[in-house]
This record gives sequence, C-alpha cells and structure tokens, in this order.
Amino acid sequence: MKFKIKFADQIVGLFIVIALVALGGIIIMLGINQRWFAKNYYFKTVFNSSTNLAAGTAIFMKGFQVGKIDAIRLNDANMVDVDFYIYEEYYPKVKENSLLELSVSPIGLGAQLLFHPGLSDQLLAEGSFMYTTDSIEGQIIIEQELVAIPVKDDTITRLLSNVNPVLENVNRTLVTVNRTLTEVNRALAGQSTGPLGTIVGDISATTARLPATIGNVNDTVAMLRARIDTLMNQVDSLLSEAQTSVSNVNGITGNLEQTTAALRDPTGLIPRLLDPEGSIATFLDDDNALFNRVMSIIGQVEQSVRSLQQIVTSLNGEMPQIASVLNETKVAIERAQDVLEGIRNNPLIRGGITEQATQESLYNSMREGNF
Amino acid sequence: MFSAIGSSVRNQITSLFYGLGFFFQVLKETSRFFRRKQVGYKVLTMQILFTGFEALAVCGILAVAIGAALIIIGSSQLPKFGQSQLMYSILIIVITRELGPLLTAFVITARSGTAIATQLGTMVVNHEIEAYISVGLNPISYLVVPRFIGMVVSMLVLTVYFNLFGLLGSFIVVQLIRPIPIQEYLVELLRAMRVSDILSGMLKALIFGVIVSVVSSYQGFSVNRASTEIPVAGIKAVGQSFVLIILADVFVTLVQYAG
Repeated sequence: MKFKIKFADQIVGLFIVIALVALGGIIIMLGINQRWFAKNYYFKTVFNSSTNLAAGTAIFMKGFQVGKIDAIRLNDANMVDVDFYIYEEYYPKVKENSLLELSVSPIGLGAQLLFHPGLSDQLLAEGSFMYTTDSIEGQIIIEQELVAIPVKDDTITRLLSNVNPVLENVNRTLVTVNRTLTEVNRALAGQSTGPLGTIVGDISATTARLPATIGNVNDTVAMLRARIDTLMNQVDSLLSEAQTSVSNVNGITGNLEQTTAALRDPTGLIPRLLDPEGSIATFLDDDNALFNRVMSIIGQVEQSVRSLQQIVTSLNGEMPQIASVLNETKVAIERAQDVLEGIRNNPLIRGGITEQATQESLYNSMREGNF
Repeated sequence: MFSAIGSSVRNQITSLFYGLGFFFQVLKETSRFFRRKQVGYKVLTMQILFTGFEALAVCGILAVAIGAALIIIGSSQLPKFGQSQLMYSILIIVITRELGPLLTAFVITARSGTAIATQLGTMVVNHEIEAYISVGLNPISYLVVPRFIGMVVSMLVLTVYFNLFGLLGSFIVVQLIRPIPIQEYLVELLRAMRVSDILSGMLKALIFGVIVSVVSSYQGFSVNRASTEIPVAGIKAVGQSFVLIILADVFVTLVQYAG
C-alpha cells in the first residue's frame, strides 16, 4: 500500500493541524501587534470639520503612534465630536493642557493628527476633554506656553514660513499696483484732479504742440546743417592750408637735416671756422684792433644818438610854436585859396594872368617820383 | 427558432432549479454527516488528501512566485511615487484577500473538480449509483457529502498555506533585494494586516470550495449512460466552476467594499 494511502489520516491530520496552528499564530500575532489585549485611555475632543479625520486615524507624537481615533460624529452644534484613545504606555505623557493638532500637508500629501503633551505635572484624567490647537482655549494654552509644541523642521514647512511673508509683500505690492493703475486710468479718462491728472493734462497739451515743435526743430536742423556745411568747407580749406604748411615744414626740416649733416661733416663749416689757420681765426687774432674799432664806432653811434635825443628834446619844446605856425600857414593857404577862387570866378579878369613857364631842375633827387 | 429558444430557456431554468435542489440536498445531508458516524469519513480523509495535500506543492510554488513578483514589481514602482510603505498593504490585499483563494480555487477546480466529475460520471455509467440506491445507500450522503466537505476543508487549508507561502516567499525575495530582519518584516506585515483580510480570504475560500464541489458533483451525476459524456461533464464542471468562482469573487468583494 502506498505510504500516503496507508498514513492518509496522519497526513491529513498534520496537514490540517499545521494550517490551524499557523492561522491561530497569525491571528495571535496580529492581536499582539495591533494591541487587542492592551489597555487604552479614552478622551474626547471637538474639531470644526471631519475632513482628514476618520475612525482609526492614528495619533502621532514626535513620529511615534501614541493612539487612534475611535469614533467621530456630528453633534447638535454642527461641530465634530471625536472620541480617541491613547495607548497605555503613552498615557503618562497625557498631562493637563495637552493639545491635539490636525496637521494638513500644504502640498496635498495628507494629514496627521499630532499630540502635544502639556507641561503640567497633573495627568489628564481618562474621559476628559482635550482641546485642539485651533480652538480659542488651545490658542490661549499655546500663548501661555503651557504645552510643548515642537518646531516643525521639515523643509517644506520652513520654505512655506519663508514664502508667506514674501507672498504678503507681493500681495501688498499688487494692491498698490492695482490702485496706481486705477488712478492712472482715471487720470487718462480725465477724471483725476490730482498731480497725475495735471501731468496727464500737461502731456496732452504738449502732445498737441508737438507737431509745431517738430517743424521748428526741422527748420533749426536745416539751418544747422547749412552752417555745418560752411564750417566743413572752412575746415577743408584749413586742412589744405595746413597741408601746405606741413609741406613747408617738411622743406624746413629738409634744410635742417642738410645743416645738421653739414655740421656733422668733419670737413664742414664748423671745423673751417675753428681752424686756427682759417680766415676767421686770422681775422679775430689782431690784438683787439677789430674790437677796439668796433667799440669806437659804438661810442660814435652813442654820441650821435645823444645829439639826436637833444634835437628831439628841443623840437618837443618848439612844438607849440611850430603848431601855431602851421595853423597860421594853413589859414593863410585857405585864404589864398579863397582869393584864387574869387579871381577865377571873376569874369573880368578870367584868363587874364599869363602862364609862367616852368624850369625843371637839372638835379633829380633819388626821392622824386620820376627818378 | 422561437421554439428552440423557448426549449433552451426552459431547460436552463429546469437545470437551475434542479441544481439548486441538488445543492440543498447536499447541505441537508452534510448536516447529518457528522452525526451518522458513516464510513464516509474515510472518503472524506482521502478527499482531503487528494484535493488538499497533493495540491499543496502546486499552490506553494504559485504562492511563492506571486509573492516574489509582487515584491519585485512593488519595490521598483512604488518608490517612484514615494509610497514604499504600501508594499505590505498591497501584498496582503493581493495574496490574502484576492489571489490566495482565487488561485487556490482554480488549482482545485483543475485538479479535483474534473476528478470528481469524471469519477461520479463513471460511476453513473457503470450503474454503481443504482447499486448504492438498491442497497439503501444515499449516493449524495455517501459520495457527494464527503467530497463536498473534503473540498471545502481543503480549500480553507490550502488558502492558509497559500497565504503563508505567499507572504514568506515574498520575504525570501525581499532578502535578495533589500535584506531586512525578519522581525521588522513581520511587524510591518502584521501592522498592515487586518483580521478582516484573513476573514475575507477564508470566506471566499469557503464559497469557492462549495461552488467547485457542488458543480463538479452535479456535473458528474448529470452523465446519463454513455462514457463519452464523462469528459464533457468534466469540461462543464471546470467551465461552470470558473465562471461561478469569478462571479462569487466579484460579489463578495463588492459586498465587502460597498459595506
């Protein structure tokens, strides 16, 4: 007989018993893991809404699950009554002034129900009411620092805490911009009497005058263009003259170069001048005869200058007399002119005077015109 | 054509009522089974041996493979969405609630459903059923009830084993991908598991066992006189069992989640 057939009862029994033991073990482990046999401490609280709340929602404290929501219901005051419990091992942390907080993820990643232990020494009695952080009483407890609320140090919360003031500033800026745009619109519609309205009116008037101004500007530009053309012509002529001057300078420079070359020439002018046997050295080596001669000529010239100075001084003294003589001479000449004119106009003696023959001088001075 | 349709509908309705009557007859005889101290115990033991114990290897391999596949797929896809912690929940939902009882039922249908239908059909063709009746033995009480109980018990036990193998097999694969202590794995697994998950799986296993055993027995008895009807009865047993299992699975799931 086959083994399985012979021991069918034993095999089947073992087969079933093992399954039952495994099933029982799993259920017992499930019960232990899910705290079926542990004592829980029940409390109550109230939320404004049941959103993100449900029976079985876990309650966390610093990342540890410390309890669960047992039941929720809508009460007569349209608030949400929540019954919840705290595990036995965490009950010593449930002090008076403890709070519950429904922390909703700002980026839509769900919500967490957080437990914040109070700082009192007294345990909160089982069945007591526990405030939420949203409630007025909860806010008072937080302000009085009667509860230990840890700082939320996750990145998103920190970012949001930084972003919020920026957003408020942006909001204020947008409100200001909106008001400004409204004022601008009113000013453009001619409804504003403020400075902006005045400015807009002035701009409108200026715009009206703009075509005439542009005509004036065009005329001015045309005139300036003519002047600039003239100036440019002058500049051209100046440049041509400058070019001529530059060519002259070039000639001078060429001469200077030649002179410099002559000076550098060992057989040139300077060595000849400095030659002890040359004409200049001979001319200068005359025992001061030339010097003395020059000095005597200078002395004579000095005497002549002094004589001339004396003559000029005496002439200056005679100048009034000379001036009066000249005036009298001038008067006499004028009178003689009048006489001659009278004679010429007299018909009786017109043509009555014999012409005199002129005798030319044999000596022609160098100053005469026809020399 | 109308007469053909009408005849077909009438036959279907008659067959349905006959099947329901057969089912209630099986239930009635089952309630008497444990009081009668019949020799059917031996048949029951053998049925559990063939249906349950011998299918253990197939179910075990299937469970380990599915658990491993779930772990591999989950560990590669879920972290992309930041939902790695859902691995255990998905594992429990798929293995304990859905695939455990369903695949076990398919295996049992394929192995034992056809066997029961063929065996009973052969007995009908060989006039053995008539012999039982002639000596005063109720064929339902002696032949069907042990198979019915044996198949239901086998389904329940195999579902438990399927869950064990599926969850432990996935642990072995977890060790290959990302080694973690077995205590941590079990704690996370048990944290995600609910009693309702186990009860749901067992309820489905119970219903599937009833369906497979009743349908297979019914199809076996539906053979009339020709031996060529026997394989047809086997095929019908498998086809109807699959359809009814899937419908029952959907119905139970709807009742659980709608409730």
